[in-house]
Amino acid sequence: SSNEHKLNFKKSKEACLSYIQDALLQKQWKRAAEFLTCYVESLEKDYSREHIGPSEMIWRIGTEILWRHSQSRMKEFNCFMEQMKTLGVKRYLKVCLEHVFHLLCNGQIDEAYQNLSLAESWRFGEQTAIRDKEIKLIQAYRGLLDYCSWSKQKKILLEHGEDGFADLAVEQEMHSYFRKAAVNLKEIIKIPGIWDVFVKCYVDLLEFYGEHNEARQVLNEYAYNSKFPANPNAHVYLYQFLKRQGESKKSLISALKILHDIVPSHELMIDFNTMLQKSKKRKKCQLGLEVIFAALDYAGWKENAKAWSCLARQVKQIVITEKHLDWIQQEWNSRKDWWPDFHFSHYLAKRNWQENKSLSHEKALVAGILLGKDCKYFKYVSHQGCKARLKRFRMLKKFVTRHNPVYLRISG
Amino acid sequence: MEFPAALFPSYFTAGPPREEGGPALVAGWGEHGQVLEAGPGRRQAQPAFVPRRGVTGERWEAAEAAAVPVLLPSAGCWIPSPAPEDILYRSSLCRKLQAGKSGATLDFAKQLGHFFVDHPEDAFGSLGRLLHKNFYLGNAKLKRPARNSTIRMTALVEDIDRLEARRGCPRQHLASRLRWFSHLCRDWLFEVPLGLLADCLHEELAQQWSSLLFDDSLTGGALAWLPSEDGKTPVGRLVHPGGQAMNHLYFQDVVLEELPHARGSPAQFELSGRIRQVAAGHVDGQDFVGVRSDYHCGVWRVPGKTGAAPAPLQVIRTDVPASCLTVSPHLPGELSVCTQSGTVYLWSVETGLQQLRHDPQTMFFRDHSPWRWSDFTAHPRVLSCADRTGLQCLDARAPKRCHFDLFKVGEEAGCQQGERVVLPMYLGRAHPSQYLVTTQFSMYVLDERLPLVPVLKWAHMMKAPPLFAHLMPGKPGRSHKVLLGASCTQELLLLQYWDSFWGVSTGGSQSACQLSGTPQKLHSIAECLQHLPTQLPHRQHLLQQRLSAPAAGLAATLQEDGPRKSMLIFQLSEAGDVFCQRLIHKASQPPAPPSRDEATTAPGSSPLFEAPASSPHGLGTAALRYRRWLRAFSRAWREPPRHTWPPSLSQRRLFTCRDLEGPAGPSSLQKQMRQWLRQTMQEGGRIQRWEPLALRPPPLPQTLELAGGPDPLSNRLTAAWAGDWDQWWEERTSFSMVQRQRALRERRRRQKRAQGHRSLSASFTSSLTYQSELSELSDVGPSLLSPSRPPSLSQEGSPPAGSPPVRSHPPSPAPDEALLSSQSLRCRGIPKERRKTLRDYLSVWAEGPPEPPELPGSQASQLCFPSSQSQLSSASQPRRKRPRMGF
Repeated sequence: SSNEHKLNFKKSKEACLSYIQDALLQKQWKRAAEFLTCYVESLEKDYSREHIGPSEMIWRIGTEILWRHSQSRMKEFNCFMEQMKTLGVKRYLKVCLEHVFHLLCNGQIDEAYQNLSLAESWRFGEQTAIRDKEIKLIQAYRGLLDYCSWSKQKKILLEHGEDGFADLAVEQEMHSYFRKAAVNLKEIIKIPGIWDVFVKCYVDLLEFYGEHNEARQVLNEYAYNSKFPANPNAHVYLYQFLKRQGESKKSLISALKILHDIVPSHELMIDFNTMLQKSKKRKKCQLGLEVIFAALDYAGWKENAKAWSCLARQVKQIVITEKHLDWIQQEWNSRKDWWPDFHFSHYLAKRNWQENKSLSHEKALVAGILLGKDCKYFKYVSHQGCKARLKRFRMLKKFVTRHNPVYLRISG
Repeated sequence: MEFPAALFPSYFTAGPPREEGGPALVAGWGEHGQVLEAGPGRRQAQPAFVPRRGVTGERWEAAEAAAVPVLLPSAGCWIPSPAPEDILYRSSLCRKLQAGKSGATLDFAKQLGHFFVDHPEDAFGSLGRLLHKNFYLGNAKLKRPARNSTIRMTALVEDIDRLEARRGCPRQHLASRLRWFSHLCRDWLFEVPLGLLADCLHEELAQQWSSLLFDDSLTGGALAWLPSEDGKTPVGRLVHPGGQAMNHLYFQDVVLEELPHARGSPAQFELSGRIRQVAAGHVDGQDFVGVRSDYHCGVWRVPGKTGAAPAPLQVIRTDVPASCLTVSPHLPGELSVCTQSGTVYLWSVETGLQQLRHDPQTMFFRDHSPWRWSDFTAHPRVLSCADRTGLQCLDARAPKRCHFDLFKVGEEAGCQQGERVVLPMYLGRAHPSQYLVTTQFSMYVLDERLPLVPVLKWAHMMKAPPLFAHLMPGKPGRSHKVLLGASCTQELLLLQYWDSFWGVSTGGSQSACQLSGTPQKLHSIAECLQHLPTQLPHRQHLLQQRLSAPAAGLAATLQEDGPRKSMLIFQLSEAGDVFCQRLIHKASQPPAPPSRDEATTAPGSSPLFEAPASSPHGLGTAALRYRRWLRAFSRAWREPPRHTWPPSLSQRRLFTCRDLEGPAGPSSLQKQMRQWLRQTMQEGGRIQRWEPLALRPPPLPQTLELAGGPDPLSNRLTAAWAGDWDQWWEERTSFSMVQRQRALRERRRRQKRAQGHRSLSASFTSSLTYQSELSELSDVGPSLLSPSRPPSLSQEGSPPAGSPPVRSHPPSPAPDEALLSSQSLRCRGIPKERRKTLRDYLSVWAEGPPEPPELPGSQASQLCFPSSQSQLSSASQPRRKRPRMGF
């Protein structure tokens, strides 16, 4: 009969849980809370072997209810969290971390910091991989908060410094924050992962104290270590750092070239293109054309007027000089079967004309050169432009008609 | 679109999933995930943080208490797909299903038996013909010379029946006769080699069972909503399958008012296969609709103008069932197709098919599922390919060389053990480089610029894997909405997410993806059952079966009418029903303490038909819509499908209309009778003679009554009256052997009849269910009596000319035999001890001349009721037995 009792208990537990779930999914927080008070009984005889035990369930459900319930207060929430920490010792660090997140989102930075310190010193049972990760995260967030305090002190110091008044105590405090933050941040960014926030803070610290080499090393590691995911931000941070350092064009270009290889649709590609267009080397100019064509392949760039003007400028330049028409031809070859439908349809001509005249101007120029003066897009836009008596559209028409032979050479 | 300036922190480890898995009911609650500092370099004294999950979202509330039907049910009836009971061995059903193990015992023998019974010609055709002389199907014992070459099959059939009855009994022994028979003819009896047949059947059964556990052919859903080009008139087009076999494609114009309703008749196309998926894409102001059935895929173009007819463009045929069809959001007339053989094609209406990949193996680790999926990405020439283990992107211009991994079931995305990709979807309308991937446990949002690491992950806690998803992109500064739908549980979940959270307000850069608000459960089709008026039990059952049919598709649209924003969600069921629900956006009010939805949607209450809380007009229309739908539903079911109902004869053939026509109203005699009956019942007395003597024409009844009487004087008088007194005398004085025998037999019969009378009258007086019994017995009545004529006028052997021949005396034995067989009596629920009584009673009626005085007038009129008529028709027809052994 004890087996039967076990079975019944399990059944009623499951039923109760499904009621709670139902209430939560329908945003009936009060009802869910009432059921949860019954569910607490399930802790008494916990026979379950599932990977989420009743204590974790209670923590999750209770937290959700307390977040959403209109009458819950921070004090009650903290109280509940403390209870949960003792209840689910196995998931202590996880509960702590979530508690800290909640405090941070509610602006209670100091309480969050205290909680982080407490959690860091907690020891229980054996060391597992998950717990190791959690403790590292806790330290990292503590480092982040130390960094926040550091930058606050820095701001005070700088403001007062302008007044010619330097406070030694503030400076010392700032240094101690720096040391605490640097130690923790340095640890986490060694482990493969996405640590954008931590890396940015750490590099900021290092740069402030003039340790540029270490900063560069950190950023290089973050961007180029193959164990890390291919995070575009890593390359962006490196590029920004190099720019701040006033590095040579060459190193900037090589940094962006790698970014271009992994994310051809990154918004920095416009900067990259302008940089390359200005270059006197032929190879770089050609790369610039490649970059802007590749960016415009992506749906997100379809209506980017800036990118289209970059392309139009470069294409125009090439057509006027009549040099390197083969570059255009090369790029166009792999695109001529789908760009006309993708960019230069009659429907888009109409819409672009209505929504953004300058975009349609740039696009019409490119279309006129790539597809000839008889292409739908160019015809529609130039016709509308001339009808509206806009000077630049008349110039555009003249330009394209004059250079129509180019189209024949490109497509031929 | 800019890349977020900072992403939420996360670990990254490569390798197989480490976390132990399992469906967890509450895994999605109470977690912020991670936090991110909101905007560096802010002026505020304190840094502000935002969570990955947990910010408040928009409030959407259901306008109705349940989903409302959009279209009337189609005229043809729906054939439900097989249930576990049909496939599984009976005793193992409950146990195995509870345990949730896939090692269920399939009821192989039953299915094979079905095959033999349903296709006897295919199973034993030629040998059956050869042997039919040697198999005897009668009940009688076989005589000596025949016994040498003939066996009696009825005995075998009885044995089989007995075996069937003892099924599951632990002390079950095979009947020796059966064993002997099967040993004897197992090798040569069957037309198809038994081993081969069994192999095929087993394979089919296993496939049916696995598709019952999880049917991935529906992935993507077979419902699409095409919004109209000019957003002012709230019109759109619903593309859905229909018809008995779901092989008709409908394009139905729908007007979105308080409740969406169909306008005009739909454009209809008949296809040659069951429609599994309907996919739509909007390019250059026109819609392209791709339709996938198992071996065919087709594409239609629907011009943007309302009212323009859809035009079919192209059809392709595949040798292996197709598992995916998606329509390009970038280029007109471009689609991607996957087949179960692991081939991915880019299909362009202009240039035809281009094979991008052919690999029967899965990508990242071995998985047995042949399911493949493919979709478009931000780059029109780059397609994603998916199987259960993950997603890869490949460039259509150089598919062999250029590809990268977008998502892997593994530690990279923090997957659990046993997790598999269920549905990938390109979220291009919300964000050009984002992707949705659902598994049976979680939903992931991926950014193709940051492959392998999900920018958002959340455990969706749905009971069944989400096979359908629908995206409703939010305008800048508002959240995107994603609907997830499951098939067999009909679950619907509404989620909201942001792809940028402070970018808009501060003009700063984009930020990481964030889940906002709490997930919200929406009404399922089956839930409306509790709000509907109660039906007759069998109809309630049909209704329940119909409404809880697995979902087959999902579509939704956002409607903005000035400040009023609403969301319409359509759900398609496998039965072809389209239901719809409206959610209304509650502008950022402070959440009122006693939330209204808690009050109205509490279990047990049924506000659909009475509570007009939010929509004063909606209530009436919803109720009306239900009523209309129910009416059409019951009309569709009135003509039952042949194969599920017992065979019955149409009463129209048995009786002409005139026969069935009752008298215009109850005659005065009937009225009187009824009154009398009522009075007697009130008094608790009994009626021995049915009519007051005053009403009877004296001579006739006497004759009839006396016909059964043993009195010789009466006989003589009757004979004298009839004019053949001579003959009577002859009979009296004759001493011939034959005549004496006849007389003896006559006497015996009379005695019997007298007994019958006695016991019958006893049962009449003792039983209160007399009237109902009588109406059951009335089966015989009409054969004696033309219901159109009052009983007192019924004369034996003299039907008036012009009236249909009335079977009177003696009635043909066929119906009586059928009636009197103990089987048919058992069928009608008559207890065993009563059967003999009844048989006697009926035999009296059948043999003797009719006794009109015994027939109440009210009963005669009762015969006109269709209910008793149908009883008659089913009863008077001998039950047809199916051939058991195929002979």
